Amino acid sequence: MSTSSSTLAPTTNSVELEQPRSGTWDGGNEPFKASYGKLMMWFFLLSDAFTFAAFLTTYGMIRHRNPVYVGDVENFEFSTAYWPIPEKVFNAFPGFHGVDLPLAFVALMTMILIFSSVTMVLAVEAGHRMDKNDVQKWLLWTILFGATFLGSQAWEWSHFISGHEEGTLLSDGTMFHGANLTMNQYGPVLFGDLFFFITGFHGTHVFSGVCLLVWAFIATTNGTFEKRGHYEMVEKIGLYWHFVDLVWVFVFTFFYLV
Amino acid sequence: MAHHVEVQHNEIREIPKPNTGWIWKTFWVLVGITAVEFVIAFTMPSSTLRNSIYIVLTIFKAFFIVAEFMHLKHETKGLIWSILIPVALLIWLLVALVTEGSYAGELLQHTFSS
Repeated sequence: MSTSSSTLAPTTNSVELEQPRSGTWDGGNEPFKASYGKLMMWFFLLSDAFTFAAFLTTYGMIRHRNPVYVGDVENFEFSTAYWPIPEKVFNAFPGFHGVDLPLAFVALMTMILIFSSVTMVLAVEAGHRMDKNDVQKWLLWTILFGATFLGSQAWEWSHFISGHEEGTLLSDGTMFHGANLTMNQYGPVLFGDLFFFITGFHGTHVFSGVCLLVWAFIATTNGTFEKRGHYEMVEKIGLYWHFVDLVWVFVFTFFYLV
Repeated sequence: MAHHVEVQHNEIREIPKPNTGWIWKTFWVLVGITAVEFVIAFTMPSSTLRNSIYIVLTIFKAFFIVAEFMHLKHETKGLIWSILIPVALLIWLLVALVTEGSYAGELLQHTFSS
């Protein structure tokens, strides 16, 4: 195997230079004592955090631009005149049609995502111990929770789109149910748009994460990481996965609680 | 590649016992904070104070996820700061635009009510 053409090792006659310095960081020092891949994942996540922060800041700005509903929560009715109260919009649960269960389903989704984060970190921990079976087991659990979250979000979306029974009375006398990008029964147009964009962008991240996890699971099963001698790839995907959980923590607070 | 000199040791090696105590501790902290958030959602009327409590609890949760699950607490200081400083700038963006939004809202209401 020829290494002379690809290496940047200095042409010294030093005897202690037994092997060419052909690693990613050819300067010899690892910045921040982190591997190239992990460092780049951190900086990618930083840029992704900017995108999500821009979305949530937009939400905050538009919400503050719209009037707040004043009056008793019991008498609340959907209207484009003010911003809706989240627990009046998100109060449905699969299989409990017509029952008012405010925020119950989103609580379940939050728990699913926290669980998936735990199984992910267990997979990373198993990787440190070079325990192939445990890595496989925890990756599979993470994929399962991730896919369940995606399914829940699909249900949440379809319910949001088809709408509540009450609907909203339009000025021409017809009733409008549900939501699309130009109209929604819950409140101002931008409420629906921000729901689709923010939860949609987050859901896309979860979907990419599940794809990466499936790939990592196949690679683990094939023994790719075992042969490589480390499970750093699982660690990097883990960073991404925790970030997605982190974003949900903020989406949950600003979209469903505040 | 960097690992082509690595010695293959395929003989039966001991797999160390898992050390997962800290993971479950972090899990219970996250579940606990989320439970508190739900209790507040149903017992406290909506107010600026309630929203402030939510934001503080959210930052707590974010801290545990980033520090423990993403392991940032155990990285070098340089890496910690290079992530935290840019994120801190986002707080300024949030405050500036939310203020701007409130102002625009007031302006719109006055324009159409008079």
